[in-house]
Amino acid sequence: MPRAVKGVLIECDPSIKAIILKIDKDSGHGYIVEDLDDETLVVKEPKLAELKLRLEKILEKTQMLEKDEESDPENPG
Amino acid sequence: MSGNIRGFGYLESLPPVTFRRLYQQPATALAIFRRMLPNLAKTIVTTLLYNETPVALGDLEALVRPESYREREDAFSKLRRLHIITENNLDVSLDPVFKKNFRGDHHSFGVPCNTEDKKKITVQFLDNYATRQFEAILHYMVGTHNEVKPSEGVITLLTKGGLMERYGAGSQATITKNGFSFLLQDGNPQVWALLIQYLEMAEELGMEQTDVLHFLLMLGSLELGQAYSVNTLTETQKLMLADLRDYGIVYQRKSSSDRFYPTRLATTLTSESGGLRSASASMSSAMVKDAEEGKGFIILETNYRVYAYTNSPLQIAVLNLFVKLSTRYPNLVSGRISRRSIQEAIKMGITADQVIDYLSSHAHPQMRKSLVTLPPTVVDQIRLWQIEGERMKTTTGFLFKDFHSTQEFEEVAKYAEELGVLKWKKSARRCMFVTRHEQIADWLKRRASAQQQQPKKAAA
Repeated sequence: MPRAVKGVLIECDPSIKAIILKIDKDSGHGYIVEDLDDETLVVKEPKLAELKLRLEKILEKTQMLEKDEESDPENPG
Repeated sequence: MSGNIRGFGYLESLPPVTFRRLYQQPATALAIFRRMLPNLAKTIVTTLLYNETPVALGDLEALVRPESYREREDAFSKLRRLHIITENNLDVSLDPVFKKNFRGDHHSFGVPCNTEDKKKITVQFLDNYATRQFEAILHYMVGTHNEVKPSEGVITLLTKGGLMERYGAGSQATITKNGFSFLLQDGNPQVWALLIQYLEMAEELGMEQTDVLHFLLMLGSLELGQAYSVNTLTETQKLMLADLRDYGIVYQRKSSSDRFYPTRLATTLTSESGGLRSASASMSSAMVKDAEEGKGFIILETNYRVYAYTNSPLQIAVLNLFVKLSTRYPNLVSGRISRRSIQEAIKMGITADQVIDYLSSHAHPQMRKSLVTLPPTVVDQIRLWQIEGERMKTTTGFLFKDFHSTQEFEEVAKYAEELGVLKWKKSARRCMFVTRHEQIADWLKRRASAQQQQPKKAAA
């Protein structure tokens, strides 16, 4: 019989996946259940929120988003 | 339904023994039949109901057109999971307990109180009472001051259910992410979310779980405006009355009173119209008094400005979750939806769809005159703002792996695809990801046992 493992399927860009792999490696492989291919992997469900948070932090450092949109009321977004 | 707030589907996770006990009450059997089964499954149940002997599975399957294969599997799987049907080889019959109680003998729909109440209770009065009690809970959650403060029992329920949390003993409870998405839901799912939480807590308090469920499901079949006798209730159910009074689900003049009145919140619990999407309609018809002021007060313009004709602290607090409010007049608040306001809402666990649903179900009648209620540009932009924050697409489910052969893999993949649960697969690795596993596990088991029988026959 095949086995079933509970988890969350993540589909993302290869660049994002590379960061996830690094987070997983740095934390002693606490997140990933199965690495499927360049753009897909399965992670543990309870760890998803934590993973998102760490990913967000890393991305914040690499990207500078313009945050001044609030100043122009006629042209939001 | 989002987050950890579970609905009626909670029942599916209960063990078979609990189901047997549940089906001992006709009201429960009927409520489950009405509320939880897809139409095809209902047809199957009625077909089996007055058949004294089991019916061959093949005969039942022949009732369904071959192209509706998926619906058929879905119906059977649901019936199996709810333990309504039992199978012996290829013969199907209804669970005997379910069958007996579904057929009749309906003494359990509450016993009406025959004596006249000294003070006549009108439907209007009950509606007002239900609204006041339930809104008090919602008001408490958003932290607005209201003349009715919910009881300690309600507050414990909210904190245990993860809708609110307390930092340190005695401090004021604050709303959580789950609490926010709870607030944005329609009335009927809200009531159910609270009751299911109550059900879990009841177990901790040593109350009989099936007793509690029976009572809740029975409430759904009672008549509004009719007084029911307390004397025929079990001890557990008498205890429950006090709590249900706090939620506005039943009304009793005094706790020692020997009669109780179900409110509209109770009588719409298991009705068909209480289904997920139409719940707002059933709730607003439930809250007759509210229908005027509660329904349709929001105007959303193409320039992202929001005008809400309300002075209700509750509605303002809910709007404040995703709108940057700037001005407040006696009967109107105005503000603007912006990327930041939406992304802050998303951070709190609210989805773009919840925001859009809320806006459209509360849109001002003037907005409804146009072909599309909400300006499409704004709706699209709200969705785009959500996607912007999502760098990956996530799906919760199950990874199937370690298949014996490519053939086995392909068969399961095909089955999963037909069921519509297949999310991702890779033949080279013999791996697939599905959103639900129960039906596939069932199928694999049946396939395995069929294969075991075959070689025996060959040997004989």
